Amino acid sequence: MLRYLTKRLMLLVGIVFVISVGSFYLIHLLPGNPATVILGFGATPEAKAILYKQLGLSKPIYLQYFVWLGNILHGNLGVSFISQTTVSSVIRSALPIDGEIIILSQIMAFAAAIPTAMRSARKPDGIIDRVLGATSFTLLSIPPYILIVVLVLFISIKLGVSGTGPSAYVSLGTDWITNLESLSLPAFTLATVSFVVYYRILRSDLIATLQEEFITMARSKGISQRRIMWCHAFRPSSVALLGAASVNIGSLLAAGFVVQYLLQIPGLGYTLILAINESDFLVVQGIVLTVSVLVVAINFFFDFVINMVDPRISRE
Amino acid sequence: MSDDKLLVVRDLTTTFATAGGDLPAVAGVSFDLARNETLGIVGESGSGKTVLSRTIMGLQPRVNTTVTGSSIIDGFEVVGASENEKRTIWGTEVAMVFQDPMTSLNPVMRIGKQIDEALRVRLGMNRKDAKARAIELLELVGIPSPVQRYNAYPGQLSGGMRQRVVIAIALACSPKLLMADEPTTGLDVTIQAQILNLLDELKERLKTSVILVTHDLGVVATRTSRILVMYAGRIVETGTTRDVFYHHRMPYTRALLESSPKVANKSHTRLVTIPGRPPNLLSLSDGCSFAPRCKYATDQCHLVRPELQPSVEPGHTFACWNPLPINAEATLP
Repeated sequence: MLRYLTKRLMLLVGIVFVISVGSFYLIHLLPGNPATVILGFGATPEAKAILYKQLGLSKPIYLQYFVWLGNILHGNLGVSFISQTTVSSVIRSALPIDGEIIILSQIMAFAAAIPTAMRSARKPDGIIDRVLGATSFTLLSIPPYILIVVLVLFISIKLGVSGTGPSAYVSLGTDWITNLESLSLPAFTLATVSFVVYYRILRSDLIATLQEEFITMARSKGISQRRIMWCHAFRPSSVALLGAASVNIGSLLAAGFVVQYLLQIPGLGYTLILAINESDFLVVQGIVLTVSVLVVAINFFFDFVINMVDPRISRE
Repeated sequence: MSDDKLLVVRDLTTTFATAGGDLPAVAGVSFDLARNETLGIVGESGSGKTVLSRTIMGLQPRVNTTVTGSSIIDGFEVVGASENEKRTIWGTEVAMVFQDPMTSLNPVMRIGKQIDEALRVRLGMNRKDAKARAIELLELVGIPSPVQRYNAYPGQLSGGMRQRVVIAIALACSPKLLMADEPTTGLDVTIQAQILNLLDELKERLKTSVILVTHDLGVVATRTSRILVMYAGRIVETGTTRDVFYHHRMPYTRALLESSPKVANKSHTRLVTIPGRPPNLLSLSDGCSFAPRCKYATDQCHLVRPELQPSVEPGHTFACWNPLPINAEATLP
């Protein structure tokens, strides 16, 4: 297990390295002088000179990378030339919002997918399974950016449920109930996307697992159907589910960006889109780097969980 | 029901609804099992042995399966009982040792937990007592260093060790009847003997009745008091182990005995086989199912199914229109 995780970790370090090179190069890919790109067109020659010295822009590009990497490792992602605050503080205030939306959506998705998948798997092709299958297919065909608009139109505007519409965001620190209200529609939207994937994967894996001899064996012990489902069938069936969740997180962040932008929730996505529009490149760079590292870290975390769930994996 | 009978099976029939039609996997099986008796059920692959043993305890698949007849385990009618009703006898009255220890243990659950579970759920033991009992059981089935093995996953044990764990689980709630469905098929020959001896020993020690299902006549020869020979879902001959081996009347029993390799044979002796294949259960004729492969078959055999009829020895019956002569020979193993 330890060996397996060490191997995975080394691979991830490699991936993070590639990501860091990519984000570093982002600035150089843009037309114009990096100093102009970073400081904007109105920058004074003095400011440019300071930046030149700070980033070592006169040095060869690979040395510039190490200077940049050194800064990053010290938590210095630069300063936004629009708001004049540090990029790290921008990220620190935006990131928890994404975290909250994703965690809420995943709780909803798993809470809905696990019992429904079990219900379906108990009688494949039964009435309940067919209804759930059709429902999940319908949900699958509704993209999140349509769903959020429909939800806002219906719930916030038509039904007039307060605190759920655009620009209604309240931070968790201010009032957690209002905060949950303001994030409920985005989280629900993301949850439906995940729910469909989780439900379908878990359903088919459960059906396969329930055919296994060890399930008949568990039955012959005289334990309840519910216990067979939760204690014997669920765990061996959840490996693909966790794998899907791990991959899903990346696309959830992306879907979250769109939803945040539409509802003007100041998470990473909203901040990123604003920064792109305002050509605030250091903020863009910081967010891209943060999100990439986050996705990699989440994947590693899921690797670890999958290993705990099925000890056969690391044994090869 | 007289008190010395633990199991009474009458006209038990298991039919699977398949895409090709109704498949009678077990058709009209009747027999009794006394307390502390060991009964062998033999037959080649596909003869319905496994389905019969599962149907007896009500463990047949829950969908597309129809069971009729009667199977009474210690006064409990299994046929027609709901899953919840059957759960009250599973584990405590009747338990099963499964065929393949590679697939019959949950791969992601520590073996100790798999033994504990039955003790805690069925006998209401607390965590600590259940663990102590599980370790005792592991010791009983001959697993070395049971305290450490308690935390092992099935993948960390060899096939023979896993089968011992399967036996420990089956014995956990001290069942009165143990169904052993080909308990040694997935194992090496040397391990086979160990497992069978273990079952014998435990049977004596715990006063359990055993039904030993196998295709290997060598397995049942010395361990059972009576044998049922099955073919195409029916019993074709039954009697004491001695009668079946030495006084069999049904040509299929003879063919089955002849096709076991014998130690006395010279090297490179061609193994005797039964020509043809077991019949397709979806399209059985009205006659004897074995007739197409039988060298003694007559027109009658193809047209009318023979019923079980008594032979000279008490309790010895066979289903054949052209039985082998009485006391045909006494040279088989």
